[in-house]
Amino acid sequence: MKAITLVLAVVLVAAGCSAAPSAGGIQNPAAVQALPEGATEVTATPAPSVDDSCGDPKASYRPDGPPPAAGDFEFGSTMATIYQRGRLKVGVDQNTYRFAYRDSQSGQIEGFALDIAHQIAKAIFGDDDPKRLQLVVLTSTQRIPAVKNGDVDLVVHSMTANCERWKDVDFSTIFYNAEQKVLVRKNSGYKDRNSLAGKKVCATKDSTSLARVVNLNVTPKPIGMQVAGWTDCLVMLQQNQVYAISTDDTILAGLAAQDPFTVVEKDEIAPEPYGIAMPKDHIEFVKFVNSVLEKIKADGTWTSSYNKWLAQLLGPAPVPPAAVYKG
Amino acid sequence: MSAPTAPPPVRTQPVPERVGRVAEVRALSRTTPGVLILFIAALVVVSVVVGVVTAISVQSRAQALDNLSGRSGPLSVAAQDLYRSLSDADATANSAFLEGGVESKAVRDRYEKDIAEAQHALAIAVAAREPADLADPNSPLAVLSSQLSVYTGIVETARANNLQGNPVGAAYQREASTLMHKLLQAAQSLYEMETQGVADDQDSATSWLGLVVEVLLGLATLVLLFYAQRYVRRRTRRRINVGLAIATVAALASLVWVLAASIGVMANVHASRENGSDQTKILADARINVLAARGDETLTLVARGSGAKIEDDYKATRKTLATQQLPGARDLATDVDVRADVQTAIDQEIAWHKTHTDIRDADNQGDFPSAVDKALKGAAKQFDQVDQALDDAIGKTTNAFDQEVSQASDALAGLVVGVILLALVTAAGAVAGIWQRLKEYR
Repeated sequence: MKAITLVLAVVLVAAGCSAAPSAGGIQNPAAVQALPEGATEVTATPAPSVDDSCGDPKASYRPDGPPPAAGDFEFGSTMATIYQRGRLKVGVDQNTYRFAYRDSQSGQIEGFALDIAHQIAKAIFGDDDPKRLQLVVLTSTQRIPAVKNGDVDLVVHSMTANCERWKDVDFSTIFYNAEQKVLVRKNSGYKDRNSLAGKKVCATKDSTSLARVVNLNVTPKPIGMQVAGWTDCLVMLQQNQVYAISTDDTILAGLAAQDPFTVVEKDEIAPEPYGIAMPKDHIEFVKFVNSVLEKIKADGTWTSSYNKWLAQLLGPAPVPPAAVYKG
Repeated sequence: MSAPTAPPPVRTQPVPERVGRVAEVRALSRTTPGVLILFIAALVVVSVVVGVVTAISVQSRAQALDNLSGRSGPLSVAAQDLYRSLSDADATANSAFLEGGVESKAVRDRYEKDIAEAQHALAIAVAAREPADLADPNSPLAVLSSQLSVYTGIVETARANNLQGNPVGAAYQREASTLMHKLLQAAQSLYEMETQGVADDQDSATSWLGLVVEVLLGLATLVLLFYAQRYVRRRTRRRINVGLAIATVAALASLVWVLAASIGVMANVHASRENGSDQTKILADARINVLAARGDETLTLVARGSGAKIEDDYKATRKTLATQQLPGARDLATDVDVRADVQTAIDQEIAWHKTHTDIRDADNQGDFPSAVDKALKGAAKQFDQVDQALDDAIGKTTNAFDQEVSQASDALAGLVVGVILLALVTAAGAVAGIWQRLKEYR
């Protein structure tokens, strides 16, 4: 009898033990953190090119004079082809607030870079019809392939002219001088670039900003977090998935304007001179674009666009970047 | 039991004992009362076995039918609703971005309705499970129940930013869509699991094996009764033994009833596949692709020029839809109204595809505003009509499924109790009938 009681007790206890864990499903369900599409960590990437094979990357082809009258182009030139097509295909960004962004009121892509594109279209077609621009939204990685494949006539983007890119595309003279800086939360305790040591820093895939941040001269090296678009970086900063965003001040200022609890830190990591990218072997087109840039920088159009879009983020308009020419 | 007195080495003992028992039975079968007793024993055993086996097998069939009408059937509908509403919610949230400014009330209402429906369908799916089924965090239900609220949270963040004119709103929307991709995969595997559940229940409701065993046992009873009656008639020169006759009628009634009901069930369940679940499956698959194609169409425009890959997805999806699923659904249709619905879907899909081609042409030629206009007006309406036509058809095939299953359940009504009672009547009749004869030998 005692034996039976003992056996029963053992069986019951055993049953109790084995039943307990299976009753509750996941005991400690983990919080789920969504990520922007394709967001990945980058720890090792080649340092940004110190390639100076092209001499000064800011130097472009000298125009032969002021831009010709609209429609009056040499037969067979790129401008004549575009004129006949009736539309200028422009690769743009839609995520850089006030520089090139989709206005949520109108649903249209607008900004400083778009003004520049409109000026080029106006010089070709002679009118202000917005339908002259066929906009193709490009992420940073899509820019060079789009130019090489002929998907676009030119790219007006936050695109730095450097020697490595000069191998694939031609650049106009510099239309905007940006600087790579850092955006953090206001209470982040950021002092200087050493504050980035070992922290996660967001930048877009294949951007020079990313290469520079990952190879920054601090120990331990920052961990890069690469995403497709700059606003994806702001999403990750707001979701506490990265410590900082590092890229051009134009872009950072646009991000800071969307989140009053962030700040663009003063110290400059590197200069980022923007050029308009065009296909190789269309030098007459590059010269034409340079002549348009020369004209709008001189006649105040550049400054009034700057005041319209960027002054409220970056302060009063600087002197437009001076054109540098090859040879 | 302990038997200390038994001589251990005697191993041959059981054999003579068994021989002895066999001999005993043989001896018994040489006398008439002995044979009668054997008949009683055999008939009682066989009818009880028939009663128990048939009752169990009919019960399992009824259980499978109950599952079809109360569990696997509704669950597969819920899983399909879940997929549809999630997919529509995402397409709606994306198209809100095309509108510019604050989304219209209609768009917002549609999104909210989709989310409410998705959560309802998810609650149904979860309620049907044991907690342990959610133990694996990667199981479809665990993914859906833990992440749907994350999705809606991100969509609201996107919306709040959009209302303030912050471009980061679009980035939140893209993040939400990326998460939705994961949720849709989970919803799809849930749907496949639940559809498989329906097929399994249909299989077990129409198992041939059970029926064959039931019929063989029923026939065995009848054969035994036949021999019992012949034996009794020869020995007693009476034409009819009332007890055995009643037993025979009961056994025959039981067999016929089981056979008729089972054939009825098989016919109904077969029809529930043919007029119901088979069609629902292809219609639901088509609808999933209709939603995916619409999602691709809006996303291509949201991506603005960098959507070539998404457009390729549209083309592949559309091809399956127009060349396989919709014509396939039309071929499978057994009901005139369902065929008419599918035909409407086919016609509207062709019109929609034409509009889609116009949208792409306009966008490729740089006329983005007119592309958006066509997408939000023409294509949206045509897409809705395709979706509605498929919804109507699915409603009808689901209905046909429910009707067939409920008819099958009706066919089994009372059968378990009936079979047990008839088995008892068979046994009692046989015992009473033979006992009467047996008494004459006392």
